[in-house]
This record gives sequence, C-alpha cells and structure tokens, in this order.
Amino acid sequence: MGYPHPSHPRETVLLSRYFGDAEARGYDGWIKRGGYQGLEKALGTSREQVIEEVKTSGIRGRGGAGFPAGMKWSFMPKERNGPHYLCCNADEGEPGTFKDREIMRWTPHALIEGCAIAAYAIQAEQVYIYIRGEFTEAIAIMQRAIDEARAKGVLGPNCMGRGPRIEVMIHRGAGAYICGEETALMNSIEGRRGNPRIRPPFPAQAGLWGRPTTINNVETLSAVPHIMVKGGAWYKGLSLSSPKSTGTKLFSVCGSIAKPGNYEVTMGFPLKDLLFDLAGGMKPGRRLKAVQPGGCSVPFITAQEAEGALLDYEGCVAAGTQLGSGGAIVYDDSVDIVYQVSRLARFYAHESCAQCTQCREGTAWTLRILQRILRGEGRMDDLGLLLDLGEQMTGKTICVLSDSCAVVVASAIQKFRPDFEAYVRSGRSGAAG
Amino acid sequence: MSDLVKLTIDGREAQVPKGTSVLEAARLAGVFVPHYCYHPSLPVVGACRMCLVEVEGWPKLAASCATPVAEGMVVKVSSPQARAARRGVLEFLLINHPLDCPICDQAGECDLQDYVFLEGRADSRYTEYPKRFNPAREFGPDVLYVQNRCILCTRCVRFMDHVAGEAVLSVSERGDRAYIGVDSGRALDHAWAGNVVDLCPVGSLISKDFLHKARAWELDRTESVCPGCTQGCAVSLETRGDAVVRIRPGRSAGVNRGFICDVGRLGYGPLNRTDRIETPLVPEAGRLVPADWDSALERTADLLRSAKAPWVGLVSAGASCEALEAAAKLLALGGGSGAFRVPEGPEVPLPGVPDLALRKERAPNVQGALAAGFARSWEECLARARGAGLVLVLDEDPAGIEPPGESVPLVYVGTALPESARGAAVVLPCTSVAEEEGSFVNLRGMRQSYRQAKAPPGMARPAAWILAEVLAALGAGVPA
Amino acid sequence: MSHSGAGAQASGGAALPKVFEGQGRSELDAILEKYPNRQAALLPALWMVQRSHGWVSPEGIVETAETLDLTLAYVKGVATFYTMYRQHPVGRNFVAVCTTSPCSVCGAEAVVEALLKATGCGRVGETSPDGKWTVVETECLGACGFATPVLVNDDFIEGVTAESVPALLERYR
Repeated sequence: MGYPHPSHPRETVLLSRYFGDAEARGYDGWIKRGGYQGLEKALGTSREQVIEEVKTSGIRGRGGAGFPAGMKWSFMPKERNGPHYLCCNADEGEPGTFKDREIMRWTPHALIEGCAIAAYAIQAEQVYIYIRGEFTEAIAIMQRAIDEARAKGVLGPNCMGRGPRIEVMIHRGAGAYICGEETALMNSIEGRRGNPRIRPPFPAQAGLWGRPTTINNVETLSAVPHIMVKGGAWYKGLSLSSPKSTGTKLFSVCGSIAKPGNYEVTMGFPLKDLLFDLAGGMKPGRRLKAVQPGGCSVPFITAQEAEGALLDYEGCVAAGTQLGSGGAIVYDDSVDIVYQVSRLARFYAHESCAQCTQCREGTAWTLRILQRILRGEGRMDDLGLLLDLGEQMTGKTICVLSDSCAVVVASAIQKFRPDFEAYVRSGRSGAAG
Repeated sequence: MSDLVKLTIDGREAQVPKGTSVLEAARLAGVFVPHYCYHPSLPVVGACRMCLVEVEGWPKLAASCATPVAEGMVVKVSSPQARAARRGVLEFLLINHPLDCPICDQAGECDLQDYVFLEGRADSRYTEYPKRFNPAREFGPDVLYVQNRCILCTRCVRFMDHVAGEAVLSVSERGDRAYIGVDSGRALDHAWAGNVVDLCPVGSLISKDFLHKARAWELDRTESVCPGCTQGCAVSLETRGDAVVRIRPGRSAGVNRGFICDVGRLGYGPLNRTDRIETPLVPEAGRLVPADWDSALERTADLLRSAKAPWVGLVSAGASCEALEAAAKLLALGGGSGAFRVPEGPEVPLPGVPDLALRKERAPNVQGALAAGFARSWEECLARARGAGLVLVLDEDPAGIEPPGESVPLVYVGTALPESARGAAVVLPCTSVAEEEGSFVNLRGMRQSYRQAKAPPGMARPAAWILAEVLAALGAGVPA
Repeated sequence: MSHSGAGAQASGGAALPKVFEGQGRSELDAILEKYPNRQAALLPALWMVQRSHGWVSPEGIVETAETLDLTLAYVKGVATFYTMYRQHPVGRNFVAVCTTSPCSVCGAEAVVEALLKATGCGRVGETSPDGKWTVVETECLGACGFATPVLVNDDFIEGVTAESVPALLERYR
C-alpha cells in the first residue's frame, strides 16, 4: 500500500496525525494515542449537550454537501419510538477525493469512535458503515477494528460499560458512484437499486426501512471525537476566513501536481498555497491551467481565478467554484481539457441511475457530442447546444448528478472556449501536449 | 377544523384536502399537468420529471406529483420556465426514441405524441445517429416489449410489484443502457398483466392481440360491463364497424379502478363470431327455415298456449337482468322455473385494489339470474326437462335434454345455434352483450348498465324485447 | 494474493456449486442477523455468489432469489445496477484500471495499454486467449493521489505505471 507524505509544517494536523503510523490501527495503539476519550466524555454528557457541542463547532458535512452536522443531528426525533439509524457514508466515489480511505485504513478507531458518539447523540443502536466495494483493504481494516472494539466492550450491548447499545456493521457497496448520495445509499443498504429518493420524506423523518436516519461522511464523523475532547468552541475557532466554515479539512490533491496526497489545513487556507507550497506545485516545465478544488463535480477555475481563492465554503463560491469534497484536481497546460471534460461526461453517463429523464438522456447526449467534437466532427453551434442541454439538466432532477455534469461542461466551455473552438476548427487539441 | 388547503394554480383557486399532490390539485382545478411516471393507483416516484411546475418563491421547479399542497401556494403550470423544462424533458425523451409513429400501435393515443404536440419542440437538435437499437421482446403470452420506445417511466414495474403483487418486472442496468426486464424463469402471464399495456404511456408495452390491427382513431368506444366473470368490471368495448377490436378498462373507475384482467381483455372473440343466427327460424319439412318476426312470435305464442305445465327454463348467466326477468315471468305462466350453470376458473385477485379479482364464476350475471328466481341446479333441471311441457332456452346449450323417442317442444332464444337445438320448435335470434342495452348484477349486488357498442347481425333483437313480445302476445303484458 | 474465483466455472459443464449451503448458509445466516429483513442481505449475498462462481451467474441469481424470497426479476434488477457484479465469466484474474480524469491526467491510459499488451487481451473487456486475464477500465477508485490505482481481483494496488505493469502481473501468473 502507498504511504502518505510526512506532514507539512503549514498543515493543521488533526485527523491526519497518525496517517502512516501502523500502530494507530490497533485498539491498544489507538488508546495509547488518546483514543476513545471523546466517546468516554460524550457518554457522560447528555445527548442534547453532545448535539449542542457539535452545533457550536460549526462543522459541516465533509462529503461535499456542506450541511451543518449538528443541525442534521438535531432533526432526529427527540422521542425514540423504535429504531433510529446512523449511516456512515464511506462510499467516497467523487473523482479527485481519496481522504476517507486514508482515515479508514490508518485510523479506523477514529471513525468508530465518531460513529459511536453520533449514534449515542441521535439514539441509534445500529450503525451501518457503507464502504464502497472497491475499498477491499479499508473494509478488512475497518472490520478488524470493529471486532476489536466489540471485544473491548466499546461496541456492543453496553457501550464502554455505560449503557447504550451500539452496534457497527459494514455494508459493502458494489460499484455505483450514485450510492454516495445519502438516499441512494439507504436504498442500497436496503438491498435495492441505488436510486436516490424523492424528498419529502427526509431521512430524519423516514430513512432506512422508514425509520429516522442520519447519514454522515467519514471525515465529518472522525472529527467528532476531537470536538468532544477539546470542545465545540475550540473547533469553531479553527477558521482562517469565513466564520461559517470552521475546523480542518483534508484536501486530496491530485492530477498534474508534484506531490499528490492528502493535506490537512484549516478552513480558509489559500488554495494557491495548498497547491504550490504544500503540494509542491507544477511538474517541471509546466504551468497551471485549471483546477477543480472540490472534486470533479465543481466548476473549473483558471489559474488566475485560483490566485486569490480561499479554501472554505464561502471562499470557493466567491472564486466561482465550490468546496465540495475537497478533492483538488489539478490540470496543467499539457492537459487536453476537452478530452478531460468528455472523460468526465463519460463518468456521469456511466453512473446515472436512470430515473430522471434529463440525467439519463442528457449525460449520454452530452458525451456523444463531446466525443464527436474530439473526433474532429464538431460544429460551432455544438457549444451553444451543450450549454443549453446543461441548463435543462440543472435544478430539475431528484439528485444533482446531472447538475454536476452540466456545471463541468458549462464552466469548461466558459473558461476554455478557445480549446473547444480549436477542436471544432481543426479537429485537434490546442493543448501544449 | 377543516383540513382543506387553499392554493392557486395558474390563477385558479383550489381547495383540496391536506396531503393532495400539486398535480392532483391542478387536475381538480381544471389544469392538466403532463406526466408519465405518475399514476393515481401507483406509488409516486417522481422520476420522469415531466410534471415540473413553478412554485412562487421556490428556487427550483417542483415535481408536482411528488409535492404536497401547502396553504397559500401559488403554482404556475404554464409559466415560460415550467414550459421550457417540460419541453426539455420531451426533447431528451425523443433522442433515443425511434420515430416509429407510422408503425406504432400507440399512435393516436400516445402521451409522448400528445405532449410533444402540446409543448414540445418542432425540430430535433439530435444528430448523434445512428440511434440505439434493441430488438423487441416477448414478455408474455400477450405482452410485447419494444425496448427502443421505452421511456423508463417504470409504471409497469410498479404495477406488477405493488398492484398485482408479483414483482416480475424490474429495471436492469443503469443510465441510458437501462431497460425493463422480465423474470427470466417465467413469462408475464399473470391474469392482470395486460394492464401494463394500458399503463404504458407510449408504444413500448403493446398487446400482441392488438398488434397492427387498427388505428386508435378508427375505433368507437362504448362503455360496457365485462361479461367475463361476476366481478362486473367497467370496460370499454372498442369497435371498428361491426367488430369488437379491443376491450380496455372503462372511462369511469368502476369497481375495478381502471384495471381489467386478461380474461376480460382478450375474451371478446365470441362477440365477433360469424356463425350467428340472423333470422328467426321455424321447422319446415325437417329443416329450419327463415321466418319474419311476426310469424315467428305468433308461432311461439301458439306453442306456449298449447303447451302443458310445467315448463322448464335453461338460461344463461350471461343474459341481461331484463331478459332473465322476462324469462322468469314467462316460465311462471307455465307453472315452471329454470336453472343456469356457470363455468368456473381460478380466482385471481388484484391485491392492490380492494375487493377486486378475476372471479371463480365466469359469467357476468349470476346474481341477476338468482334474483330473477333461477337456480344453480342445471343437471336437475335437465332431468326435469324430459318430462316438461315446454323447454325455454335462453342463450345456452341444451345438450342432454332430448332422450330419444320423446319430443318436448323447445323454444330457443340465442345468439348462435348449437347442434342440440336443431330440433327446436322455434329459434329466435338474440343480441349479444355488445349489441344491446341492458344490465348485469355483480357478485356484490351492484346493478350496472351496459350500452350498445355495435349493430346486431341480421334481424337479431335483444332477448328482453323478444320475451316481452311473447309475454304481450300471451296477454301477460310486460311494460316495454 | 487474491483470485477472482473465476476458476470455479472452469472446465466443461461442471455444475456450479451451491452458494448458500453448508458454510455458505452459516455465513448468510450471520449476515441476515445484521439486517431487519431478508431483502437487505441481497448485496452481501450477491458478493457471495460472485466469490463462489466468479461472476453473478444465472444459477447464483436463482439460488439467491429462492433463499431470500425475492423474485428473479428483482434480483436481476439489483445485480445489473452495480458495476462490480460481473454479468459474465471472466479470466482467472480480473484487472480493473481507473481511467477517470485525475488518473487520466497521470497517464492511466498508458497503464491500460501496457496491461492489454502484457496480458494478451485484445481489447478492454475481453478475456485473454489463455483465459488468465480480463482487463477493464473502471471509474474513480478513490486513490487519485496514488495514480494509477488498479484492482486485481481483491487486491487494491496503488501507483501502477506502464513500466511497473510487468512486475505487477508476475505476482499473479
């Protein structure tokens, strides 16, 4: 397996502290490193207070949606009239993102601890960790850690001897990006096709098997023990720019970059510094052309736009993109943007669940037009057509997969129009190659 | 406090029960919202995205089938934005949909044709030819799946799962490779499976029976009651000229809520039989020869006046209430009574609709026959007929009553002439359920009328009329 | 070192083993404990079928449907939704290479080419003439910083390059 890089001095190391530390994987090693103190503390606090602490921290969903986690937990019914469920979203399918796998394979107990605290807070006795089927190594490591935690009484009928029943089970996915969408994830656990559900009802009212359910991302849950130990106010204070974006974030930097890997920085950290300082900048002789800072489903921004961009939810929006999952995909000037846009369209067309007409047909149509352009058979009005199709694919479907395809194509045409026009005119890429 | 919700749809005010969808509220207010996947008898999925409407104050368009009404909501179905979105859906549907209209049975009653005509683009911007091609597949004895035309609304899947209770259809694959698959071990042969053809908004699921038989706009539609069993489903007899070409669920919901079983659906064959009795017949020199109504009725009255009691009746449980009541009156004049028999078959409920099944007793008017005083004792009646003064047969096969050497006068009123009635003293041709007005009583005692869908053959008349005329001739005066 | 289980359907006409009998039944029972109904055990059950048969075979689908009391159409609908459930037999080793943009930018296509050449597979998706390999392209494997990740059977291998392909394949020959 690959090993992560040693931490850069400008990183704020919180979740990634023990990446690369094999001993941290085991229960004893984790305890030695201060593990399970958050859970200990939580169990001694009321559920309401735990939720308050998470609310205070301001932590927002790290899977891409950025919804305040504490608020999400507070949507669960206060009165428990039957099972409540917690789902941990470890489907990590967003291209460009590879942080949750690291958390699971280096610090599995951190995730278990976060799950247990969340389960306690929302009165769930069953936790399903939905791990994508391809993560064979992470699944094995998580299962070993869960078995250990059970054996040590952290999980089971009497969590840490303090009362609540908390069982954690792994549900293995089988190759569907769309199952990272929280309602599709629930359908998949139920043994169905991974179709996103219409809302209402919302998961907190009726989720898994019609029961109140909360779904949280791996990174979000792994931060919770820290919030318990050091307090929500402390976490809230970790913010370099917008006060609505707090804490640390693992940014998965990949693509045309010298030192790809996960870098943990405080929210509001400058994108430019992440790429050029922490991640080593461009490969020799190359210039930055474009970046998608939040995974492949966010708008492209140019090198110029990346100049002043700050890595938090508000900062990315101000720069014309989105923070998303924090998977920063870097494209240098050797990249054929038109080809990469078509490759992403191919991704979306492949992953569409087929429910909504605009997504099912639109992603495929978009792909075919782009492939035709790449073959040298493009026409100028194809670009206007692509933008128009994208308009029809935005804000009209059950989930945002089609919106993502539309935003990728639209931002690329908007910002790299000459590249597309070069293909239409000459049938070839204009890239430096 | 009332749980009615007030809202405005395209400027019209509506007051609907809480929990109603915006789409249904619009319908109640007289505003139609185009849709595919939504159907009142199926669970809502909000997948086709055709029913998108604008709601004032909302950042995104709403799928009206999946959006519950809220007090004070202002819904715009015809706004430019909503129309543009629906036009978008139609454009997307047409890129893979083959232009099969000239050879597609759904033409003229196709929701894709209709909505494109109403709200779609006049041109196509799709140039990524060739279009995908998939061969058609037989799903069952009658249902054909033309995969190319499928718009994946999943009505068929949800019907079989939630209404028929047998999940034998499913969506396979993902994205634009998705298609409807059938349970590989069996065919789509559920007794209620034919409804998927009605539910399919386009010509993807079609009936092999109806394949290329007629164009939708050539058909006349008449509301009737299914003669297949005692359930009494509301059906529509669809005729072209003098032939019944298709039977579909009736316009009104009826007891069957818009669904019919395959026995009723595909059982119209007898309504088109060509070996009908076309004129009254009387025996002459050992043969049956045509006669006019006046003389035939005269002959019948004479027979009855001279026949000794008791008379015996053998009647069909598929005859109208009016005919059965008249037959009973007639038999009473001769101190007689009669019986009926009912063919039987397996009972197959449709679980998703309360109290709906293909019933065991496969005749439409068992209750009507019982109410008129007829009994189920067919065999016993046959035996009594041997010693009777007269036998009156109402559209049944009287085989088994003529022991050799004896002759009991037989008055035969029927649609076709069975071998066993060739020795009848008089044959009076009557109309079938498609050729008359009348009523049946279903198994729950509900009396329902049916209307005439096509012209009777030759000189055939409704059995109720025939028997009323006979009664009148006998001075027993039945009001017409 | 993992295997794709493809060997299970090797030589001519040998019947595929029952999946949910004996130890398989115990394993399924343990899985059923984790869920409130049988339908939810479907994805894990299909994994068991693929592990045993090398792919989600028709026999496996029938056995799964019967065991979990689901219709065949339903099981097929679910099995064909998820890319990792193979719908036909594959080579003894199943090689899946990520070629989505982050890896494409790092030369994933060259890795695919190298694999096709080294395995003797004519094209992506085809099984090699000697039955030992099938190479497919897959979407993002979630290891973009360790381009190019390759799944060989159950082994998740990071940082594969065109140059390192021969050595990688040696481990599975």
